[in-house]
Amino acid sequence: MIELINLSKQYVAGGVVIDALRPTTLTIPEGAFLTVMGPSGSGKSTMLNLFGLLIQPSTGTYKINGKAVSSLSDNATSRIRNKTIGMVFQSFNLLSHLTILENVCLPMQYARTRRGEMRRRAKALLDRLGLQGRYGSRPTQLSGGQCQRVAIARALANDPPVILADEPTGNLDEKTGTEVMGIFTELNRSGKTIILVTHNPAYESYASHKIHIHDGTATLTS
Amino acid sequence: MSLFETILTVYASLTRHFIRAFLAMLGIVLGIAAVVAMLAISEGGKRGVIDQIKAQGIDNIIVRSIKPTTSANNTSAATSRGGIEMYGLTRADLDHIRNTFFNIDKLVPVREISTEIYAGQVKTDITPISSTADLFSLISCGIIDSRTKPFRDANDGVLMPTCYAGIDAAVKLFGHREPLGRTIEIGGVSFTVTGLVEGLSQGRIGGQYNINNALYIPMAMADTIWGTSVRARRNTAASATEYDLFYIKVKDLATLPDTVDRLKSYLSIAHAQNDYEFQVPYELMHAAEKTQRIFTLVMTSIAAISLLVGGIGIMNIMLANIFERTREIGIRRALGATKRDILVQFLAESMVLTFIGGALGAGLGVATAHAAEWVARMNGDMTIQSVVTSESIIISLIVAVATGITFGTYPAWKAANLDPLLALRHE
Repeated sequence: MIELINLSKQYVAGGVVIDALRPTTLTIPEGAFLTVMGPSGSGKSTMLNLFGLLIQPSTGTYKINGKAVSSLSDNATSRIRNKTIGMVFQSFNLLSHLTILENVCLPMQYARTRRGEMRRRAKALLDRLGLQGRYGSRPTQLSGGQCQRVAIARALANDPPVILADEPTGNLDEKTGTEVMGIFTELNRSGKTIILVTHNPAYESYASHKIHIHDGTATLTS
Repeated sequence: MSLFETILTVYASLTRHFIRAFLAMLGIVLGIAAVVAMLAISEGGKRGVIDQIKAQGIDNIIVRSIKPTTSANNTSAATSRGGIEMYGLTRADLDHIRNTFFNIDKLVPVREISTEIYAGQVKTDITPISSTADLFSLISCGIIDSRTKPFRDANDGVLMPTCYAGIDAAVKLFGHREPLGRTIEIGGVSFTVTGLVEGLSQGRIGGQYNINNALYIPMAMADTIWGTSVRARRNTAASATEYDLFYIKVKDLATLPDTVDRLKSYLSIAHAQNDYEFQVPYELMHAAEKTQRIFTLVMTSIAAISLLVGGIGIMNIMLANIFERTREIGIRRALGATKRDILVQFLAESMVLTFIGGALGAGLGVATAHAAEWVARMNGDMTIQSVVTSESIIISLIVAVATGITFGTYPAWKAANLDPLLALRHE
């Protein structure tokens, strides 16, 4: 369960205070499939970054499973990013000098998983996402859809309860995009909470909960 | 991240930009190479000099007769015997020092017998000297003695003249035949070789006579045969000395400087002219050590400067590296890397870089030192030798890695403190 209590974010730019996110209180139940939609500059990215603990809120509290996770130390925040939230990006963000197996291993390295266990799990995840036999490939040798599947495998590496996806189909063609959305649906069915930031209204049909943001004001519908 | 994973990560990122990594470490390679090579050569030089000094005995004082330069126009100061001008150390000096200097353990006079030694018909460069048995305890040497005729000071040598031979001299005279018991003519008298002397290092007696290339005749025997003052076969010489040198061993090293002062003041009164000189291995050793310290200081400064330059190179490359990999840092942070993980990763990179640089540099330094020694030897210069100590290798590796830590910390700290979001958005 994710709770936002009076959560807000303000930026100061050129002496002017900008309300990127006005105080927002909402609750997202465990196992929800949430879409976050809104035009550019609406505060969508701010909300995503708050969810992903990449920025600190100006006011309010952010709780995951009843535990306040905003304003923690760097170590504690890093641990939550590592184990509780799996992130998937529009541009995949794979490390091009590593093999896809090594990319999937990265979050487990930071979780200090034993090497044998790490490689076994990474292979299982890549197999599950249809990349069996490609372990030694570099990201540059793969198609966009394959890269995004590697990125999803990486997000799942430490088996986090929450998957945070930022326009995951933005760089993919429609068919591949639909395949990727199928993967998210499947993950949601297996119990993961999915938070999907998207421009595409068609994807709202996958959602159990929807957030619409406009000028920093977020409204939740379910 | 575990240490093993960190090393793998570092390996992956260093091999990605092999040329860049190599250029980054080049400063360290050359700096460490210079340090190791110079240390090896200076250590070699130090051992050479200090070995030579030690061979003369650290608790010895050597007083040597020298021909005064003023004697030609100052004839009144010089004593004359049978038309030959006398200079240098005398029997009176020997007796006075023996009787009045109580902190002297041994006083050994040495006189060169001025005559040519022939091996068959061939003239050799062997030097015959006369001295007392105590000489062998003052110079570092080993003795093989026939035991039938020990090197003795008693005056019974006229009946059966005997001598000891340095091992090189023995080979020159007798080839590979057993030298003990063989005879040799010295100044018209036939001597039987009853002992062999082998210098433990390439030492010289009083810095003058090669231990291995001398013949040793008991002083009393030489006195009886040739007389005490005028040397054998020096009838044509215009000047002569009674003793070429005194080897003096003090009882206690602490009293050595004081003894030198007292000897100097005695001799300055007893001798009208400046016809002697002092050679004190202990003082030479101190002087050599002082020179060595200055050399080491200069070396250390040069090493520090070259490592500073190398370190700045490392820092420069690491900063460029981090700028280029900002996005990677952002991704790693988003996936759960702590600041510490990032710091360790980049610090480990600069440490590995400098360690490899240090190792290559040490190898290059050892090779350079050997090459310098070899080139000098090819040109007939035996004085340059290189001694590579394991300490110098270990110290230079530690210094290299310390340079990596010193100059890698700021870039690594900068990387660790990048804002994760800004880093992630970095293009």
